[in-house]
Amino acid sequence: MRRTGFAALAGAIFGAGLWVSGMTDTLKVQGWLDVFGQWDATLAFVMSGAIVPMAVAWRVAARMYHPVLGGPFPEPPRPEVGPKLVIGAVLFGMGWALAGLCPGPALASATYGGLGGLVFLLAMVAGMVAAPALSRRIETLTSRRSAMEIRALTPDYAVSPQIDPSDLPALKAAGYTTIIDNRPDGEIPTPLQAEAMKAAAEALGLTFVINPVLPGAMTAENVAVQEQAVAGATGPVFTYCASGNRSAIVWMLMNAGKLPVDEMIANTARFGYNHAPLRGLIEAAAEQG
Amino acid sequence: MLASWVWGLCGGLLIGSAAALYLLVNGRVMGMSGILGGLVDGSGWGTWAERAAFVAGVVAVPGLLALAFGGATHLTGNWLVIVLGGLLVGVGTRVSNGCTSGHGVCGISRLSLRGIVATVFYVLAGGITVAVLRHGFGVI
Repeated sequence: MRRTGFAALAGAIFGAGLWVSGMTDTLKVQGWLDVFGQWDATLAFVMSGAIVPMAVAWRVAARMYHPVLGGPFPEPPRPEVGPKLVIGAVLFGMGWALAGLCPGPALASATYGGLGGLVFLLAMVAGMVAAPALSRRIETLTSRRSAMEIRALTPDYAVSPQIDPSDLPALKAAGYTTIIDNRPDGEIPTPLQAEAMKAAAEALGLTFVINPVLPGAMTAENVAVQEQAVAGATGPVFTYCASGNRSAIVWMLMNAGKLPVDEMIANTARFGYNHAPLRGLIEAAAEQG
Repeated sequence: MLASWVWGLCGGLLIGSAAALYLLVNGRVMGMSGILGGLVDGSGWGTWAERAAFVAGVVAVPGLLALAFGGATHLTGNWLVIVLGGLLVGVGTRVSNGCTSGHGVCGISRLSLRGIVATVFYVLAGGITVAVLRHGFGVI
């Protein structure tokens, strides 16, 4: 209930801001985009004014455990810049320029924008309903062929660059029973993220373990989780990250003190990985046991 | 009569404060296209009350302000432009997952690469569209 109340309050302040700033006036928006005509700078002031309190809010949020009303904060920003982001932004920019309205002002002016404003809103909603189909089409057209390559460090442990669900039957046929995903979702396109891969793997009867390793920030827990998954596996284990590098490093740390360091470095070098600089790290791990 | 940029700056501060409130209290990113899009395509029905309340606030307050002090959108009378504009805004914001409020205000303020890239592309596309259609063809 309080959640709903504060949402209404935020919406009310947002709406007031749109009215006060003049952003529901399509001439001001088109005037800002019109660099070759009578340029209207208002929108730049609106944007700057809005970004300042929000930049403070993100910093405050970083120091809070959870939002005032509980629940998690939004996920950290994703680094992924894909074709959908760019294509969508270009289409939006064209529509924004045509009518001079974006979603906020279109709603804010619903009661005083006349019949034209309502028709715009209806068309916008229709576009929103149609969008998921276009998104899927773009994803299918632009998804690259899988980079899977079974790089068997031992008969029971292989590493690989990112795989996709269509690779799983081949892995099963090759005898692998457990798949470990060492790549954090933040760096993976949505259709290849952990949950989708897990569902596809489990549908084939494979065990799927999610053990994300941050680049350059592998933890002792990463190694422990990997060890446990390998120990519990009923057959050979297949691991992947972006290039297979992190999966290979976890393997070296798991075997620190058990296999000679030179042998491990030579082993991963067969697949193009250069782990010689990690010699000190592995030797230190071996000493700690 | 206050200058247009003063109103713009004050309105912008209100918009940013609304986004700050929605983040710190409700724990959500204030993106208009996401809030509305989740309602109309069914993907956000789990949080429909929060979304509907936000939309109600956005519609009601400017409506009252316009009733008291006036408001005009100066929207074009060209139906083709209105419908095409609406469709493109609806499709584009959902495919790229954000609009001026989500990518622009909330994204840029946390230095999100996606927000910055999207903003660059929609502003560029908008600028080119106005240049071509206004100065080339005189349509808008």
